[in-house]
Amino acid sequence: MILSIKNQIGPRCIIMEDGQRIYEIIHGPLKKGETVTLDFEGVRQFASPFFNFAIGQLLKDIPEVDLRRLLQIENINETGNLVVERVIENAAKYHGELDYRKIVDDMLEQQAKESL
Amino acid sequence: MAGKVIPIPTLNDGPRDFDRLFSIWKQVNNDFEDVCFDFSKCRFLRPNAVAFLGGLARLIEYRAGIVVFDWDTFRNSAVMVNICQNGFAGNFGYHASGWDGNSIPYRETTFLDMNGIMDYLTYNWIGKGWVNVSERLRDAIAGRMWEIYNNAFEHSGTKIGVFSCGQYFKTSNELVLSVVDFGQGIPNKIRAFLRHQTGEDRASKLAGAYCLKWAFTSGYSTCIDGVARGLGLDLLKEFIRVNQGKMEVYSNDGYAIIDRDGDRYFNTGFVFDGTIMHITLRRDERFYIFQDETKRA
Repeated sequence: MILSIKNQIGPRCIIMEDGQRIYEIIHGPLKKGETVTLDFEGVRQFASPFFNFAIGQLLKDIPEVDLRRLLQIENINETGNLVVERVIENAAKYHGELDYRKIVDDMLEQQAKESL
Repeated sequence: MAGKVIPIPTLNDGPRDFDRLFSIWKQVNNDFEDVCFDFSKCRFLRPNAVAFLGGLARLIEYRAGIVVFDWDTFRNSAVMVNICQNGFAGNFGYHASGWDGNSIPYRETTFLDMNGIMDYLTYNWIGKGWVNVSERLRDAIAGRMWEIYNNAFEHSGTKIGVFSCGQYFKTSNELVLSVVDFGQGIPNKIRAFLRHQTGEDRASKLAGAYCLKWAFTSGYSTCIDGVARGLGLDLLKEFIRVNQGKMEVYSNDGYAIIDRDGDRYFNTGFVFDGTIMHITLRRDERFYIFQDETKRA
């Protein structure tokens, strides 16, 4: 499957709702092991909410190694590519879950030390 | 109109100026309160003050109060010219339309209007010609700034929208943008989230500085709908630092400053229900690069 992002949503890949639309189109085929190409020709502006939803959430049930093999990204500029890479990296970490109690403990401990 | 008269002093963008803004906010924090702003002692209003006062006026109206900007009290014609030029005066009933100059228009955004906000950032702010950047870089910078608006609408719970204003200062070669909301504030949101996640009240003891530090940490987010987030502020922070700009954030009892020396977080002596993001970029094209470009160089 080759998907023109500009035709689907226009020249701005910014909001999560647009990302969700792309996710809904590509998730099924990717899950079945099909190759999907996202063509960003004509897309000029990028922000992380779009990619969190279009690509980041694919990692919920597709391993990163499979996603990188099956999902081809074409004609994206370096700015967009940087955001995609950060989103994939972040999503891969996210699904490992965070220990919020430990986070709060660590922050309170640090806070107590600094107030001495 | 019978109502409280609030004198507006000269307002720049130093810490004392923000203190003064929060003190004004504190004086008008009641329902059904009518307020008249008096500018007779005001010699200058930076964009942070313009955005803040505009938002505050809408907040007063939302609380069923009446707001009057007393145009007759403007003794300093430069201040009046400035708020006419950026469209602020026109928004509040003065007979003047904004025009092009050194101002980035005062803007009230009541919903996450992607094209409206992106056009404002792309063509009225970074792409106005004050900073000599390529189209690619212009588009990329606007994309980074979008994260501020996205955060405000996604997390603050603002009932009245988001207010912004900017200016290009010729003498200091600085391009400024201020974005203000009167929502719950970042530290309050994070404390509530961590209380909920841990099932314990200890997170309430987290100081504003620590909450802001958490918010600017890559991968940390208060959204837990199964979609990883928490990159927006980190991407913005990285851009500001690499490009020797400055970003200051005032939210509840926390203050953050991000610049070429890194990021520092402080507790403030006051509590403000809302968030101000104040960005300063330098007008020097040598500085405008991205992380990938530094790696290639």
